[in-house]
Amino acid sequence: MTSIAAEGRRTRPNALSRAWAFVLRHVLTVYSLLFFLYLMLPIAVVIVFSFNHPAGRFNYTWRGFTWDNWLNWNAVPGIQSAITLSLEIALFASIVATALGTLIALALVRYGFRGRGTTNLIIFLPLSTPEIVLGASLATLFLHSASYGLSIPFGFWTILIAHIMFCISFAVVTVKARLIGFDRHLEEAAMDLGANEWTTFVKVTLPLIAPAILAALLLCFAISVDDFVVTYFNAGNQVTFPIFVWGAARVATPPQINVIGTAIFGIAVTLMLVNVFLQNRRAKQG
Amino acid sequence: MTDQITRRVFLRRAAASGSILTVPGLLAACGGGKSSPGATSDTTSHQLAKTLHFSNWTLYIDNVKGGGHPSLEQFQKKYGVHVDYREDINDNPTFFSKIEPDLERGQSTGRDIIVMTDNSRYPALLVQKGWVEKLDKSAIPNIKNLVPQQRNPSWDPNREHSLPWQSGFTGIGWNEKLTDPVTSMGDLLGNKKLKGKVGLLTEFADTLALVMAYNGDDPSHVTDQTFNKAMNTIQKAVDSGQIRQFYGNDYASALSSGDLVATMAWSGDIVQLQADNSHLKWQLPVDGGDIWTDNMLIPKGGNVYTASVYMNFVYEPKIAAEIEDYVNYVCPVLGAKEALVKKDPAIANNPLIFPTKQMLDNAHVMDPTAVNNEKYQTAWQNLTSA
Amino acid sequence: MGLGFLHRHRGSTPYLLLAPGMLFLVVFFLVPLGFLAYQSLESGSIDFGYAFTWAWDNYSSAISGYGTQFKRSFVYAGIATAIALLVSYPVAYWIAFRGGRWKNLLLLCIVAPFFVTYLIRTLAWQTILSDNGLVVRTLGSLHLLGVLGQDGHILATGTAVVAGITYNFLPFMALPLYVSLEQIDHTLIEAAEDLYASKLTAFFRVTFPLSLPGVVAGTLLTFIPAAGDFINAQLLGSTTNHMIGNVINSKYNELIDYPAAAAMSFILMAIILALVLIYARAVGSEKLTG
Repeated sequence: MTSIAAEGRRTRPNALSRAWAFVLRHVLTVYSLLFFLYLMLPIAVVIVFSFNHPAGRFNYTWRGFTWDNWLNWNAVPGIQSAITLSLEIALFASIVATALGTLIALALVRYGFRGRGTTNLIIFLPLSTPEIVLGASLATLFLHSASYGLSIPFGFWTILIAHIMFCISFAVVTVKARLIGFDRHLEEAAMDLGANEWTTFVKVTLPLIAPAILAALLLCFAISVDDFVVTYFNAGNQVTFPIFVWGAARVATPPQINVIGTAIFGIAVTLMLVNVFLQNRRAKQG
Repeated sequence: MTDQITRRVFLRRAAASGSILTVPGLLAACGGGKSSPGATSDTTSHQLAKTLHFSNWTLYIDNVKGGGHPSLEQFQKKYGVHVDYREDINDNPTFFSKIEPDLERGQSTGRDIIVMTDNSRYPALLVQKGWVEKLDKSAIPNIKNLVPQQRNPSWDPNREHSLPWQSGFTGIGWNEKLTDPVTSMGDLLGNKKLKGKVGLLTEFADTLALVMAYNGDDPSHVTDQTFNKAMNTIQKAVDSGQIRQFYGNDYASALSSGDLVATMAWSGDIVQLQADNSHLKWQLPVDGGDIWTDNMLIPKGGNVYTASVYMNFVYEPKIAAEIEDYVNYVCPVLGAKEALVKKDPAIANNPLIFPTKQMLDNAHVMDPTAVNNEKYQTAWQNLTSA
Repeated sequence: MGLGFLHRHRGSTPYLLLAPGMLFLVVFFLVPLGFLAYQSLESGSIDFGYAFTWAWDNYSSAISGYGTQFKRSFVYAGIATAIALLVSYPVAYWIAFRGGRWKNLLLLCIVAPFFVTYLIRTLAWQTILSDNGLVVRTLGSLHLLGVLGQDGHILATGTAVVAGITYNFLPFMALPLYVSLEQIDHTLIEAAEDLYASKLTAFFRVTFPLSLPGVVAGTLLTFIPAAGDFINAQLLGSTTNHMIGNVINSKYNELIDYPAAAAMSFILMAIILALVLIYARAVGSEKLTG
């Protein structure tokens, strides 16, 4: 608030406007808190019911507290291999997608070239295509691959390909955002000091965009672990964790599903808290 | 004994079994999806494989807390074959769509035994397209224990390709705490007190058979007229809001939680569900229910000898009795009832598991030509999924 | 291959960088769409095989047979997007303007719930909205059940489906809103107030218009996936609430009627693209890129 602004400010804010400001200030806070409660409601249900001791096949009414489900989290046949597969796919897919996406982002931001508009379009399209279309079209590709001599059976590789495909766009967008705000002077300074392009890239550029690359990795990982629709169309016999939940929901919902869901939530929250904490530390250190 | 197979091992095995078939399979695929005459199937060797890959419906075999299956463990001990038992069949169409791409291309599905219901089009389709292997009957002397009424189904007249796993009745299940007994389809579809809390099954044959019986028509001989009449009856109930939803296996959770008060239901399920909710009751509708059979089939590329040996094993009355003790569906094996009488007389005398002649007479089998009729199937899908 | 190579072939550097990723996208995103188009013009069935016959009637029968589901999908997606916008905007505003040093933590609070698997979250809503659950009983005692629900239940109605869609796509609305609100230069608002604008006027004449890029991004990121969704309708709805996604799923994975499913997928994409273009025109295309 500059002094000029203070002078020009209306000298008598009317009562209505003041009352409105007061209400606004507190209503907004209350509303936002209610919003967060609403967001957490299903999560709370998931966490609570992970400790439930259901009498039969389903986990809908509270019967009693037990640690059993957490201790025997893999007692349900198939759940361990499902979560293992999901994590494996997510790991490989996020690494490959981030690598490919970073290269694309570098090209888009740093170079002028013909076909830039088309490239942007091709990257934007998967984000704006409904998942069901992505899934069905990929499945069609794999189904027809036999007639081109390349019989790709549905399974691990088709799932991996699908996940890399829809993750690339996310990786590009994430890294691009950081690259746009990147200060090229740092690179120029390094080169003025005698570093060649490769050293500059490795010692200056990469460390500075590392947070974005990490963010892209985490984003792709999260999206991959959670994906259901595209995976469902292309999984064949393989069962990832979301596919397992889908199948289980129709027959029997073991509490172990809630256990895994809670665990994923817990790990994600912990990682993000650590990230926030580190960011605040870094900000404080200036 | 865990049934874990690491993905790597599974892939290697699938590749190994698929590679035998891929080249002739590719040729066949180029030829338009018919069965590949060149595919080698393991019909002549009498060597047991190391692992039997068995895909089945959930809760359809004996099980103990912690995930073990005693009958499978006995098989493993007796023959030295590890059973990779997977409960990955939730409904016929979805499971078929999972294995269809492999079968179409002449590749192994990675399974030696699958289980599909005869009142869906798939067993007949699989046989017609040559996508299932012939059983090695020389390895199944116990086939003589098959109950007489199951010996000559229309889609596999000499039981060359299949053997029943379990049969089941479709009837009406209700929650006696929330309603008076619901014993007829008329009640289910028309009773205003049940509005919005009634379920029907997505299975074409089950729902239509019961509605046709209620309409006074014969489900085992379906005509366009009787089909349309039944569809109209159901459509009316859907439009009026009487029907909450069409369910697959998931009617069970809605019924036990109270979201459904009455629904079409499968006989064996109710016995299991009573653990969740002791107020659940079941009955064949007074106008007639239907009976269906889940059949063991060997998809093309599966190990015929090992699968046949397993089928012979479960047709041993003692083993069938063990499985029946848990599964509580209708047993297709002669002698199982006698074997159970001493151990668990309640189960042995349960007409849902060893039905009386009267029950069998009151249960219809759906006309297979109707099940295979493309027009009917599309009309049905439009009604239930659209 | 050292950097010298790239130096000499300066012009080709961007293409080399782009090649692996773009090739992947072309082969596994564009080409499949081509195959899908090809398949949408096939006819036949699983029993007898499929053949390419320029079967345009796949498209016409998709529209005539399932027009209701198409309409319903866009209605549900539209309502869910509108509700999401109304519900998230105040919170995004609150975090951007009042968050201070807690901004990141508050954002975490928005995003964290969505780390739990989509399906598990939706199943939790099944429990929460169950006929004997707290929500239904409360609404019943408030006599709102007749309005929102149907015959005493919320599950298996359109309300439950829309509620599910709204919840599941909230972060896609909230985060873009936050990003654009956060970037607003506060001196502009102060200037408006200096010119005798009330807080309310300042909001509507300055803040909101400046946040439009976020609104556009949020509505697009919510509406597009919501229109193609089928999980909420499957788990929370009934047959009369099925969306076009359910039909495509059943055609593809149950009936194995690939041509019909393919045709429907293209119609869905075409309608979405048309709506996006109309929207972009109405809002002004600069807003799209912010």
